[in-house]
Amino acid sequence: MDERLVEEFRRIAAPENVLREPIKLLTYECDALPHLRETPALVVLPGSAAEVQAVVRLCAKEGVPFVARGHGTGLSGGALPVPGGVVISLARLNRVLEVDIPNRRVTVEPGVTNLEITKQVAPFGYYYAPDPSSQQVCSIGGNVAENSGGAHCLKYGFTVHHVIAVEAVLPSGELVKIGSPLPDAPGPDLLGLLIGSEGTLAVVTKVTVRILRKPETVQTLLAAFNSISEAGAAVSDIIGAGIIPAAVEMMDAVAIRAAEAAVHPNFPPADTILIVELDGPSSEVRELFAVVEETCRRAGATTVEVAPDESQRMRIWKGRKAAFAAMGRVSPNYYVQDGVVPRTKLPEVLGRIAALSKRSGLPIGNVFHAGDGNLHPLICYDERIPGQATLAEEVAGEILTYCVEAGGSITGEHGVGADKRDYMPRMFSDDDLDVMQRLRDAIDPHRLCNPGKVLPTPRLCGEVPGPYRQHPVEAAGLAERF
Amino acid sequence: MITASMREGSVADAIDGVVPRQIIEPADAKELAATLHAASRDTRITVLRGGGTKLGWGRTPHPVDLLVSTARLNTMLVHRHGDMTATAHAGLSLMDVNRELGRHGQWLPIDSAFDAATIGGIVATNDSGPVRHRFGTPRDLVIGVTLALTDGRIIKAGGHVVKNVAGYDLGKLVSGSFGTLAAIVDATFKLLPIPQASATLEASYDEGETLARDVMQVSTSQLEPMAFDVMLDGGEYRLRMLFASSPAAVASQVESAQRLLSRPSAVITGDREMEVWADQTRAPWTGTGAVIRFGWLPAKLAEITTLMQDVQQIAGPVVMVGRVGSGAGLMRVDADTRAQAAVVERLRSSVWVGNVAVLRGTADLKQRLDVWGPPASAVDAARALKQMFDPAGILNAGRGPI
Repeated sequence: MDERLVEEFRRIAAPENVLREPIKLLTYECDALPHLRETPALVVLPGSAAEVQAVVRLCAKEGVPFVARGHGTGLSGGALPVPGGVVISLARLNRVLEVDIPNRRVTVEPGVTNLEITKQVAPFGYYYAPDPSSQQVCSIGGNVAENSGGAHCLKYGFTVHHVIAVEAVLPSGELVKIGSPLPDAPGPDLLGLLIGSEGTLAVVTKVTVRILRKPETVQTLLAAFNSISEAGAAVSDIIGAGIIPAAVEMMDAVAIRAAEAAVHPNFPPADTILIVELDGPSSEVRELFAVVEETCRRAGATTVEVAPDESQRMRIWKGRKAAFAAMGRVSPNYYVQDGVVPRTKLPEVLGRIAALSKRSGLPIGNVFHAGDGNLHPLICYDERIPGQATLAEEVAGEILTYCVEAGGSITGEHGVGADKRDYMPRMFSDDDLDVMQRLRDAIDPHRLCNPGKVLPTPRLCGEVPGPYRQHPVEAAGLAERF
Repeated sequence: MITASMREGSVADAIDGVVPRQIIEPADAKELAATLHAASRDTRITVLRGGGTKLGWGRTPHPVDLLVSTARLNTMLVHRHGDMTATAHAGLSLMDVNRELGRHGQWLPIDSAFDAATIGGIVATNDSGPVRHRFGTPRDLVIGVTLALTDGRIIKAGGHVVKNVAGYDLGKLVSGSFGTLAAIVDATFKLLPIPQASATLEASYDEGETLARDVMQVSTSQLEPMAFDVMLDGGEYRLRMLFASSPAAVASQVESAQRLLSRPSAVITGDREMEVWADQTRAPWTGTGAVIRFGWLPAKLAEITTLMQDVQQIAGPVVMVGRVGSGAGLMRVDADTRAQAAVVERLRSSVWVGNVAVLRGTADLKQRLDVWGPPASAVDAARALKQMFDPAGILNAGRGPI
């Protein structure tokens, strides 16, 4: 990048907020999908929406591609830099602008972490519902880009259900408000389009979210089963009884063993465990929880353990949340996949995954959000054995095919990013993808805003997602994958 | 070659008094797409119609060349009851959809004031009623769409799993688009189980301060009503709360809510309860007065009741319903058009109120003001999308909101 341009970025954001030294750029080469790496020409850390706007305007004028980045916890390479381009880090935009308890909303800058919102409002008895497992470190701007969910999205929905308005800089450099602090803004739902667009349509500079009153009661149980199909039947029966749990999570024997080795949650040595959580008014939870317990027993649960207090509840969740990172205890390397199947197809798809595991010789652990069919198969391999890494990648790709064939999706929460763009044609027709590309071009005609993400680019065909590697924030014990 | 049923427009098809030249009822998605393609090629101004229940929403049309009806796209395509999702054709009515879903104890939790309202029309207008308090508006429930475009293509976005972040969410984009971008062929929704039991609590208030205080009491409690509404009619406010859950949980929540209210309240169940909510949903649409939609900051309900006094000074008695949890309101003003316009102006000048839109009004009223109000901040982006989806500018041309 020529010096004149660098000078202009420095003028906008002050010299200390423009990074060019190779050692400093290193941090920005990847997000939490570290096998995809690129070096940007520079990183700029604007300190205000006006500075973000000036940076984007300059990029637009000079034809420089730019990639917005929150706290780098994304799992699909959504914040992968463009070689020669600019990374706009929103880390300095980390102010909580307004906490409005009477109107149940909070306005923050995009660099504020997800959990910080809940911390701000917890003293008043409120919380912010979407709870991705990286919530201690992930940014709300990143949540908007990825439409993040969490373990509790079965009942409470995703980021798109909780953000009511944003301020954003469009690729043209125009600063706009999208959505409305008041209900029923007329016109197409641009906010719904923007949330989950993976940073390809705008750079968000301000986010207003709804907060919820804390439920009166939360109750959690852990049930052990001799087979995944029995546990699956329990889930179907619970939901069939008209109960929408706050969370329904399942782990198989491989994942249980790993979690036990890592954090000793004292899970029963079962083939499958099921975690069910209900929340809401006490009278409702009490009544429905009895039904859930009885349903688990009827479906063949060998043990049903109800968390008697908050610390026991946290123990159960600790075991569940540790499952990903814990795979390192039972396998030298592993690969995390993210796919979705209709809930009723879980037994069938899990059967195919088990057969694939047998055929490939690679153990596959399963940890998943059973309520909404979001699978996270963990494919174990040893990169020291020639060919195993490639085999693991093929196995991971094959699982996505099963998901699509079952009527599901190639990603439930990690996003397409740079990682899965070439899988998009498995889900969408050429026309579907062409219209998405044209929509993107209508907003970003010069293709500068996070290029190379979400939609397939033919020249990159054949790329496959890479193996799991621990992210620095995971290594530091700050976050766990879900 | 279009084989869809075709006829001349008649007075019965008129939109704000404008009779469309031709009516086409495509038999399937292909015909729908081909119809739009041909209309786009010949720049024929086209209005899409589902049940025709909200066709008058928007600015008065210039001459309409073509009215494309989804009446024959009226199949319940699939109800995956084990997965709690369903896909329905755009032209199927919400009522028929819910009748079908009810066979498996499920429902699509959307209210409509109109029996004939279709899935396509409900999504295209993002119209909602009292249960939005818990379930949001249609955009919160749509998980996939099939669209027919003006270039003749049929595309899909989303899918039929609830959790899915692959690709752009065009189902959200067309929510509230009023048929300005594309025709909805079918939509897929996440569903909810029909609650086992319900009961409604009703209390009356003759002034706003006490009402607002009681609403705040409930809002800050841990009660979880399914609907939380107010109605102003005949100078009196009625607060209505719907609790729906298991029988014991309903009873216990009703009891707790009664304790929170400063006024005596009645518990309403059974057929009477159905009537109360039908009334709450339909009241603004009875009669022939102008219907104005507006939003307010939920904590400003007391200020809104003061504003209602101003409004009634301008226009005499009005009927107002509001979702007090979100601040979503609808008002019917029966006075003459001059007074109706003055009410709109009064609402638009209030700092507590926004998104003031005239949904129903005479051509005379629509001439006095812009029914949608000032354009949104991101209007250029919206127009760029409109240009991309509808380059000939035929879809709901000039009627807005884009």
